Amino acid sequence: MPSIIPALQWLEGLAWTTAIRESSWGHPIIETAHVATTVVFAGLVIIMDLRLVGLAFTDAPVADIQRRLFPWQMAGLVPSMATGLLLCCVDPLRYYGNVMFRVKLALLAVAGINALAFHWTTYRTAGRWDEDPNGTATARRAGAVSLLLWFSVIVSGRLIAYNWFN
Amino acid sequence: MQAFVEWCADLAMSQAYRDSLYLFALTQCLHLVAVTTFIGAIVIVDLRLLGLGPVRQSRAGIARSAERVLLWAGLVVLVTGIPQFTTNAFSYYRSPVFILKMWLLAAALIFTATLRRWVALADEGRLPPWAPKAVAAVSLALWMSVTIGGRMITYY
Repeated sequence: MPSIIPALQWLEGLAWTTAIRESSWGHPIIETAHVATTVVFAGLVIIMDLRLVGLAFTDAPVADIQRRLFPWQMAGLVPSMATGLLLCCVDPLRYYGNVMFRVKLALLAVAGINALAFHWTTYRTAGRWDEDPNGTATARRAGAVSLLLWFSVIVSGRLIAYNWFN
Repeated sequence: MQAFVEWCADLAMSQAYRDSLYLFALTQCLHLVAVTTFIGAIVIVDLRLLGLGPVRQSRAGIARSAERVLLWAGLVVLVTGIPQFTTNAFSYYRSPVFILKMWLLAAALIFTATLRRWVALADEGRLPPWAPKAVAAVSLALWMSVTIGGRMITYY
């Protein structure tokens, strides 16, 4: 199997990634933008999940909360992913070798698939959830799984800074 | 102030944190998860004040529901924030970004507990339409500054 390492070395050697990596402002600015936008994205996802679980905002219909929050979740997600990708481009070999980074990517993939599965299948019945007790059980389960996954993504993301397992 | 900082650094808890490889990092993780939840509960109310959030529930209804989340998440943020400060009390005390973050936090907390709360819970017809929007803009600016300040403590 061809190795990805030569490609990462090429990326790391580019003039612009080198310039950002060696600057004193590059990492602080990109990392802070990543955290600030992620907090908005994940914060609104967590609010939605708390509603699904039935812990908060229970007076508002699930569908109403989700429809109105979705654009703002995306408004956080797009810059969060862009800044995250930029961080990887600037220092690819560091992240490639970081165990927590790999764990985070795997969790992110699972959380993403779970979110898509929720939107395409589970959520279709959301209109009935507010009356039907079975719908509420489905909603609770979906919310709990999503909360657990996004909490894990945040925790593993934070732990990238620690090289415990390398 | 110097004496207080010394007292913090000398606490048994601070010593335990300095001796442990994992305790500080795990506290940071919990802090971040709680901060994210807290900001989510701030943003949903500010969106509603801007006329953009969930609109089938009243402003006051969303705000009251958010308050419970804010209190619980805020409690976790506080409980996980204190040992982080005491463990490295001297370096936080000397960090200009930390001092700035604490002033911003104080301003954001006071604003949220007074004017923002009053506007969010007021009858919707009683206020001119610009008032909730202005309050939401100030709230978002304050809380995002606190978040950004928190992240920047690592660097300055």
